[in-house]
Amino acid sequence: MSGRVSVLDDAAELRPRAVSGRAPDVFSREDCVPMAQFRDEEEVDFAIVGTGCGGGVLAAKLAEAGGSVVAFDAGPFFRPLADFASDEREQEKLYWLEERISDGENPIELGSNNSGRCVGGSTVHFQMVALRFRPEWFQARTKLGYGADWPVDWREMWRYYEEVEKACSISGPIRYPWGPKRGRYPYRAHEVNAAGLVLARGAEALGIDWAPTPLCTLSAPHGKSPPCVYRGMCKIGCSTNAKQSVLVTYIPRALAAGAEIRDLATVGRIETDRWGRATGVAYFREGRWRFQKARHVIVAGYSIETPRLLLNSHSARHPDGLANSSGLVGRHLMVHSNHAVWAEFDEEIRWYKGPPSMACCEHWNYADDDPTKDFDGGYAFMSQGPLPSDFATSIVTNSGEFGMDLRARMAKYNRMAGLKMVGETMPQADNRVTLSEGKDDLGLPRPRVTFGYCDNDKRLYAHALDFMGRMIEAAEGKNRFETEGTAHLMGGCRMGEDPKTSVVNADGRSWDVPNLWVCDGSLMPTGGGVNPSMTILANAARIADRMIAAGRRGEV
Amino acid sequence: MSARQAAHRERGSRSIGLDAVAAGGVIALVAAFAIGSALRPERKSDPVHRRATRKARDGAAILGASVLMDSAMEHFRGGFHNRAMVLAPATAAASIAASLAEPRPDRTGRLPRLGHALSFAVGAAGLGFHFYNVTKRPGGLSWNNLFYAAPLGAPGALAISGLLGLTSEALSIAPVDGNRTGNEALAWSLPEAGRGLALATGGSLLVTAAEAGLLHFRGAFHNPAMWLPVTVPPATGLFLIGEAANPTDSGREVTRWAARGVAVLGVVGTAFHVWGVHRNMGGWHNWRQTSLAGPPTPAPISFTGLAMAGLAALDALGSEERSS
Ligand SMILES: Cc1cc2nc3c(=O)[nH]c(=O)nc-3n(C[C@H](O)[C@H](O)[C@H](O)COP(=O)(O)OP(=O)(O)OC[C@H]3O[C@@H](n4cnc5c(N)ncnc54)[C@H](O)[C@@H]3O)c2cc1C
Ligand code: SF4
Repeated sequence: MSGRVSVLDDAAELRPRAVSGRAPDVFSREDCVPMAQFRDEEEVDFAIVGTGCGGGVLAAKLAEAGGSVVAFDAGPFFRPLADFASDEREQEKLYWLEERISDGENPIELGSNNSGRCVGGSTVHFQMVALRFRPEWFQARTKLGYGADWPVDWREMWRYYEEVEKACSISGPIRYPWGPKRGRYPYRAHEVNAAGLVLARGAEALGIDWAPTPLCTLSAPHGKSPPCVYRGMCKIGCSTNAKQSVLVTYIPRALAAGAEIRDLATVGRIETDRWGRATGVAYFREGRWRFQKARHVIVAGYSIETPRLLLNSHSARHPDGLANSSGLVGRHLMVHSNHAVWAEFDEEIRWYKGPPSMACCEHWNYADDDPTKDFDGGYAFMSQGPLPSDFATSIVTNSGEFGMDLRARMAKYNRMAGLKMVGETMPQADNRVTLSEGKDDLGLPRPRVTFGYCDNDKRLYAHALDFMGRMIEAAEGKNRFETEGTAHLMGGCRMGEDPKTSVVNADGRSWDVPNLWVCDGSLMPTGGGVNPSMTILANAARIADRMIAAGRRGEV
Repeated sequence: MSARQAAHRERGSRSIGLDAVAAGGVIALVAAFAIGSALRPERKSDPVHRRATRKARDGAAILGASVLMDSAMEHFRGGFHNRAMVLAPATAAASIAASLAEPRPDRTGRLPRLGHALSFAVGAAGLGFHFYNVTKRPGGLSWNNLFYAAPLGAPGALAISGLLGLTSEALSIAPVDGNRTGNEALAWSLPEAGRGLALATGGSLLVTAAEAGLLHFRGAFHNPAMWLPVTVPPATGLFLIGEAANPTDSGREVTRWAARGVAVLGVVGTAFHVWGVHRNMGGWHNWRQTSLAGPPTPAPISFTGLAMAGLAALDALGSEERSS
């Protein structure tokens, strides 16, 4: 490439980088940008826990509106150009791999497929599929008869989708076949790779629509980010900055607007006073516990860490955990069923080239009247491009193939294609996050994640496997096989209109503690049949505006 | 199979590197200019006539050079996976030589005309191939395929360079004194030839701007300067067509300034594309990849070529008023 040889070190993981009034310049290999810094005893307007979709957007928008903001992240502050390698093992540093207990009827495999741990959150290693909810899903209970309603009008959400799609320069098709008409995506869709064309071929053979996937990576330069180079390392962190993660979009905005980011800073508790109001957060950084005073605390740690923190912040006034008078903190946790079909092809596909999911099909999110649809909710599916160890791992876990069998299977890696679903699961109260007895290195109780599919979930993924199987065969795939799995997390602190059936209101403000807010994927009352990041970003952008408006009215 | 995928597929089995293609392109370009110039002795004739002819043929040569480099790079990216893909740069080189060669009414003069006709034919055939490549992919005539499958505009440019060559031939052999010899198939009078050329260049500017428009749309007009080539050249193209239909003194003056603007735009556009390549990962250090992935550096200069042909057409049209 440029002839420069870079040596990776683990400096970002060992010592905080956002210190002494400077934070890493994510567009450089070693430079910094200036950063505001607040003292612990200074009561800041907002202490935000987490810097992913929810926390990152809030940090930027609240600081831009003039608020004093400190945003904490348990993970490191990376400079992708210098810190990311094209190596699956090395990049495990992006995942939340702290031990968590997983149980229930269908325990979720926790790690690379659920949550990240670095400034920018899970978007640093997400796969960039940038879809919107179907409008009716915001009223799933009233309009479609399942799940729960969101306390938000879909038209408002659509305005915010547009806002965040612009901020992330989403590259999407000119005509999107499903749902109400949407405005033009800021950037044009990427060239669909051979793996995507398999989906396209299959869809055309079965006579249903397909589309180039709207993706959160650039198809033309933007600011200091170059366009995508189609090397396909997206899921392990993009080392070019073409991927428009929160790390390279909202975090630089937040810093420029005067927010402070504290990396390698784990928040262990939210403290409350004797009137029950939050006073700030206790956090662990540089080897010791500290306390940051704040007028408002916003929790944005995602669906496992947010409930964990709230539950762990119990006090005499809040014996069952903060914001938990409804008993719903940690409940209604959802995943997406992530089952897939794979097949071999005569021609070379080389599916690792380009972002992993370049073609998508949302047919079953909209086909309410199809007589074969025997489930509530919906699913989308996308073409696939797993990196080698990822693929080998999923074969071993699913089929148990090993040794020469695995080798023979992997020898076909370049001639394979797959279709993987993002299937809606129902919000069930017993799928939940609780605290276990065990403690982590900081002495915090480890989370226990309990999950099981309901009958509807099972019908849904069975339908998807059958349909995707027919499609891949129509695309002339041979020796088909299936794998199962889950992706994404949603729910755990649902928002709603009734304090008895929700944890926070439509603004993300907790019903119990007026200066405690939640803003991340855990707010989602239903999961929808699409990847969640755009919905979480849009919801966060909306909540930021609501907070700013409330502030102007003197209510914040 | 897309061009890009093919490139990845073929590169391993091929020893030609991008540097070889670049070097080959430059050698072909220099050779074409050398051969063309050698065949181009000075001739005593009407100064307007000569100037117009020169300009038109230099314009056609510049266009040919743009096509040569562009098609060499793009077809390299496509791994030359179809043998016929070498035809495009080869014909473009012939077209440059033909444009630079001095037209002669004798038999040797046929050779350049044949060269132009060949460019036109290969360009038209290429258009057919590229169209087939677009429609056979899933999605058919979709935006994604128009953006990323074989570009329709590129062989179009080759055909245009042939067309311009032929028209400028007509201009060069047009009898200065108004007496037709009757020997020449394309024996137009000078103003007639000027009209023909104005029409050809005007149309070509529209088509080329459409191609730039498609590709700049693909680039989401991320830089406002990307609007320039989709506004100034088509306006100029329309002016030229207007002049061909109804030449006027004042119209010609406006069109002349517009055409000069287009000529400058070709150079400015090249600079922008050089900058654009730099904005890709690794910048010019990584030119083997970025010069292929970024905006095509040889493309914008085609506007300069077309503008020169347009100016030549205006000169020839102007001679009408002087002679009548
Ligand atoms: C492998 C993978 C692929 C994905 N692909 C897609 C996709 O293609 N499309 C899509 O739409 N979505 C995708 N997602 C999902 C998407 O990334 C997440 O839904 C989204 O990022 C969640 O946003 P969030 O703000 O809720 O949490 P996150 O983005 O996860 O941010 C939470 C942050 O909080 C920090 N944190 C947590 N607890 C604490 C604490 N106590 N103290 C300090 N910091 C804390 C964490 O370190 C983390 O950085 C993918 C996810 C994964 C894991
Ligand atoms: S394929 Fe594109 S988005 Fe993915 S890692 Fe490479 S440059 Fe980044």
